[in-house]
Amino acid sequence: MNFKKTIVGAVVASITAGSAMAADIALVIGSNQDAFWNVVKKGAEDAAVLVEARGGSLTILQTQGYENYGPDLAVLIEQATAQGVDGIATVLPVPEAQLPAIKAAIDAGIKVTLLNGGSDSLKESGALNYFGSEEYTAGYEGGKYLAMAGAKNILCHNQTPGTANLDARCQGVVDGATEVGANARELPLPANLDQDVAGTSAAIEAELNGDPSIDAVITLATWAADAAYGAIDSLGKTDTVKLGTFDLSPSTLDRIKAGTQTMAIDQTPYYQGFLSVSTLAANIDFGTKIATAPVLTGPAIVDAANIDATFAGVEAGTR
Amino acid sequence: MSNTKNVLELRNVDKSFGPIDVLHKINLSVRAGEVLCLLGDNGAGKSTLIKTMAGVHAPTRGEILMDGKPISFRGPKAAQEAGIACVHQFGGTFPLMSISRSFFAGVEPTIGWGPFKVFDRKKANDIAVHEVRNFGITRIEDGDRLVGGLSGGERQSLAIARAVYFGARVLILDEPTAALGVKQSAHVLRIVNEAKRRGLAVIFITHQVMHALAVGDHFAVLIRGSIAADFKKGDKTREEIADLMAGGESMADLEEKVGIEA
Amino acid sequence: MSDTIQIAKSSKPKASRLSVGELMRSPAMGAFVGMVLVFCIFAAFGFHKNFLSVFGIANWMNFASMIGIVAIPVGFLMIAGELDISVGAIMPASAMTLGILCGPYELPLGLGMLITFAMAAGIGWINGILVTRTQVPSFIVTLATLFAVGGLTLTLSVIFVNRPQVAYEAPELAKALLGDRYFGFRASVFWWILLSAVLYFILHKSPWGNWIFAVGGDSESARNAGIPVNRLKTALFVLSAVCTAFAGMLQVAAFNSAQSATNFPLIFNTIIACVVGGVVLTGGFGTLIGIFFGTMTLGIVQQGIGYTDIDRNLSQLIIGVMLLAAVLMNGTFQKLATSWSTSKKED
Repeated sequence: MNFKKTIVGAVVASITAGSAMAADIALVIGSNQDAFWNVVKKGAEDAAVLVEARGGSLTILQTQGYENYGPDLAVLIEQATAQGVDGIATVLPVPEAQLPAIKAAIDAGIKVTLLNGGSDSLKESGALNYFGSEEYTAGYEGGKYLAMAGAKNILCHNQTPGTANLDARCQGVVDGATEVGANARELPLPANLDQDVAGTSAAIEAELNGDPSIDAVITLATWAADAAYGAIDSLGKTDTVKLGTFDLSPSTLDRIKAGTQTMAIDQTPYYQGFLSVSTLAANIDFGTKIATAPVLTGPAIVDAANIDATFAGVEAGTR
Repeated sequence: MSNTKNVLELRNVDKSFGPIDVLHKINLSVRAGEVLCLLGDNGAGKSTLIKTMAGVHAPTRGEILMDGKPISFRGPKAAQEAGIACVHQFGGTFPLMSISRSFFAGVEPTIGWGPFKVFDRKKANDIAVHEVRNFGITRIEDGDRLVGGLSGGERQSLAIARAVYFGARVLILDEPTAALGVKQSAHVLRIVNEAKRRGLAVIFITHQVMHALAVGDHFAVLIRGSIAADFKKGDKTREEIADLMAGGESMADLEEKVGIEA
Repeated sequence: MSDTIQIAKSSKPKASRLSVGELMRSPAMGAFVGMVLVFCIFAAFGFHKNFLSVFGIANWMNFASMIGIVAIPVGFLMIAGELDISVGAIMPASAMTLGILCGPYELPLGLGMLITFAMAAGIGWINGILVTRTQVPSFIVTLATLFAVGGLTLTLSVIFVNRPQVAYEAPELAKALLGDRYFGFRASVFWWILLSAVLYFILHKSPWGNWIFAVGGDSESARNAGIPVNRLKTALFVLSAVCTAFAGMLQVAAFNSAQSATNFPLIFNTIIACVVGGVVLTGGFGTLIGIFFGTMTLGIVQQGIGYTDIDRNLSQLIIGVMLLAAVLMNGTFQKLATSWSTSKKED
């Protein structure tokens, strides 16, 4: 499917070469090891069909990991600037490291949109708009949902404590739960267990066993949800411990359908990719702008009530 | 106690690597029960000669004969199977393995069959200890002891005992005493004599004249890829041999060059 | 000329104090002592959170088993003088292959496992060929395959299932054999113990095990002794890849899902388990039981800390200190083993 789009784009581009409407856009996002960005890419690639049809192009730049996230993203933004793109759609999780590079891009005449993280810095960055959710708000809604569903003692697993957006999520969970009168706390695990399903599962299991009053676990990534489910299932507590997670994945949705997971928080990464690229291209080509800023693409809660509608999207990798 | 036939003979052997000629018209022979000392300084071509004899290199010209019959080795393994064993200055034994495991590396005795073969530790220990003691290393009683716990001389002796046990007929010893002190060297030289007594043909490569004179029956001096001299024990004096070793200079000439007043 | 060789009794030198039996016990003993020490410490600090319970033990054993299955063949390669860090990519590659083939593409599990094993063996074979036919050190070769396989896994996953993760629920029997828990212990623990027994036999009892030590001790001498060094090393790389693939399959069976991300922690964990278990870094020595204890020690520290009130981040510090202690201790044992002394001065 990708090849077809490239060929169509190339043909159109060659025909419309030299036309005034040719938005060359760079999308700067996070680690290629993280499944989440794949869905963002699907949205961006769908927007790229339009971009290419008008003679433009989309380049996707990803960091290798999260260990050096801010500086790595700044380097990618500078790279896009040096390549002479017309627009950059970027994530902004580490404003201190990235704002100088963004300012430099804007000074060079490049238009910028933000996605996924950094809504607080929208004005300061000079970007056109922000498409994503607010981490704290998403956490708040999630915590509140679980508490209202009957949870009294919620555990929020954080796989890399110290990361601003993840910390904000758990903080939101705690506040949202407390609002409705439930208890909630964070479980910070050391970063060397990040992506380690077996290790994380064992750690969560130990935590659950040590504190039997925990009746809900919420994770910040879908692989962690798999690990948490492994822990809950091993202890035979699928009926007594609720499970929730941020983001969607095939196994997450299978569990919601089967009733062994309560909910997932969808920040609709598809829209983050699609809207950040398409509005950027439209602004470059036609000068249009959306009146509302920031544009919140989430949180949307997926649970037993609306699960069926999501499956087609999961198959296509867009949800 | 030597028979007249040569066990190993090199006739007019040349060895070149591309345009570089390393060995020229090498004529060497050694008989069973005889020690041939090959003397030569560094850079004379010793290691190429050793490798040619051991089957690592094939001669560019000339022939190698065993028991009077021309033979060519496909590789070092073929040479080993024909009975030519090489013991190097370092290596040949494994410091972190036991004496018996080191002795039998590659040819372990086993009990059982198929994929369930078990290393026969008892048999290996018995044989290894017996062989090594037979050579006169009476200090070793336990085949489970680590090779690393042996002295340098004992390790050399272990390697030689191993070669003999596995049917070597020609023993090529590459600078066996170069890294050893006086007492340990004497030990190794005694082992060489024992090997000779058992009827092996020994080629003893060294640049230490004293050691060569202690065990050698027959001497050849290698200078810049050719045999500069070839004589039996007793044909030349120690001084003459030492001079030849040093490339033909006498001690007096050397002193003059260095500026020492006679 | 005397035929017999006499050594004067008065100058009989002292042999090294350690025989193989003793040396083998020493680093393994070190690993055992370390494990017991660490166990006692966490049992004391974590008593109130049930560290000392069947569940508590199963908890870290489950974690250790996933590392252990890979650590042993990695240890074999270390003993033979080589390194394999491509295991970090082979595990997710195998998990994803199995998950994709048997999940969305609905192949029967047995066939899926066969294909996955074949793929892993192929990668191991490539590692072996590159290491033995070129002069490139195995660290670099396997670093290259690590990234190559990792990148391929990510790309192919997106091509075949549109995302770098996949969900797969194995059939009942397979789950029972590969993923379920018995008295709290996951199936992987039993497989780990079984594999350890088999590989113990190969390393310490069979002639091939002797070859591994010889190749690691001095590969030139090993070659001269007739040991097929290249074939042996290639076989070890294949063993490492296949065991890693098996670990990946066990993970899929246990957690019903697979991800494409390269498992970098696995690389460090297996090397740490081997070094703490007494495997000599330069090759030529190591014991299987030592690797087993080293893996357990790592598991205890990594998971046991969660039972205590100690900050979990300190687990990394503790592991680092342990590693240092193990290397120093093992170095001392090595020196002791290869020492030789005389009771009388030499002339």
